[in-house]
Amino acid sequence: MHSSLHGSNKVLLTTKENLMNIYKKNLSLFPAVFFLLVLSGGKLFAQDSTEAPVVTKVKPVKNTFGSVWIMDNQTVMVPIKGTLEMDIQHRFGTINNGSKDLYGIFAPANIRIGMSYGPFKKVFVGVGLTKERMQVDLNGKYALLLQTPGKMPVSVTYFGNVVIDTRNKNNFTYGVHRFSYFNQLIIARKITSKFSAQIAPDFSWFNNVEGYVDSKGVIQYKMHNYHFAISILGRYKVTAKSAVTAGYDQPLTQHPTNNPHPNICLGFETTTSSHAFQVFAGNFWSIVPQSNNMFNQNDYTKSQYVIGFNITHLWNF
Amino acid sequence: MKVKAIILILVSGFMAFSFTLNVDQPKTPWAVPDAAKNKKNSVATNAKSIAEGKDLWGTHCKSCHGAKGIGDGIKAPQLKTVPGDFSRADVQVQTDGSLFYKISEGRGDMPAFKKKIPDADDMWNIINYVRTFKK
Repeated sequence: MHSSLHGSNKVLLTTKENLMNIYKKNLSLFPAVFFLLVLSGGKLFAQDSTEAPVVTKVKPVKNTFGSVWIMDNQTVMVPIKGTLEMDIQHRFGTINNGSKDLYGIFAPANIRIGMSYGPFKKVFVGVGLTKERMQVDLNGKYALLLQTPGKMPVSVTYFGNVVIDTRNKNNFTYGVHRFSYFNQLIIARKITSKFSAQIAPDFSWFNNVEGYVDSKGVIQYKMHNYHFAISILGRYKVTAKSAVTAGYDQPLTQHPTNNPHPNICLGFETTTSSHAFQVFAGNFWSIVPQSNNMFNQNDYTKSQYVIGFNITHLWNF
Repeated sequence: MKVKAIILILVSGFMAFSFTLNVDQPKTPWAVPDAAKNKKNSVATNAKSIAEGKDLWGTHCKSCHGAKGIGDGIKAPQLKTVPGDFSRADVQVQTDGSLFYKISEGRGDMPAFKKKIPDADDMWNIINYVRTFKK
């Protein structure tokens, strides 16, 4: 097995080719475009209102989601300045082994513990430790746009991270191979007081990908260093504190081998003043977003779902 | 048999006492500065404000104060500070400014919400909703 960085020109060319392929062949973009139209739909219809205008202070919409997390993805939410958050996240094994490992409960699990803080308005930064490949993530979030009635139909937030694989140095040819990156643009709308939806295109980059030597002695890469994906998520409040959540993650980049599988997830969320608790089933196991998007081999057609939960605790200083 | 009956009576008595302990507990007066007491509510009471207040109540207040504000939330039995019955006249006669001050500053088990709910309008929405508890 050989590991190496791709040349930047090659990456750019391959990216263009991939984008063309995406437009030509990948039908998954059509639901995404449709979803964007749905997000803006409320704004278009709102202009037909015949109610008498009432002069009130217009403020950005609050609580589009119950937490910064919605199952395996970040939400558009950025907590208020001075908020300290602790995350505890857990993913059991796949349920398809049935009672043999009690539907994955006794299978090897993945765990992340994280702390985040809002040092400035609209900014949230954090650090996390994930059991899988002993990864340490440094992450940041910035609220670019806030949904405001009559002014802005959607909220838009940028989320990004740098992840360091801290396993023994024997796993890497160069130290830089430890690094991977994730960038995501999250677009969301609180469509009604009970229903919110978001769409989030994302880009993952791994400095190191696996390769092999073919029969002619040439190094071939199993996957590209980069990966595009898109997630669609929704939350419907069933009571003041509880909600059901659903989502879908679609890989967009086609790799030479080991193409990742999509993620279908369905969950339940309950929130209080200081906590959010989410329990759900989905195909993603890795918790770190670029690992989920690039390496997910759990196939929903084979019932390879995992049960997971997220717990957050908030303090305000 | 006799021992079992005594244990049953003791356990029943203890449980009954647990549920009624906070209700009859005497309240400590909560002084509110005059300036805070006279602070005016800047959000008119209407359906939108009450709906938003109800939503915030569900997130921040309900677990202790209960769905109807009578102090019977699921956390209430564990509290040393009496959550109170907000439907009673002694609460409803208080000014909006007094309620704003108490929610903002907190006392004992009651957390200070001035940092968790920094937008004054949200606080007024909660107070407008609390007014719907009046009997």
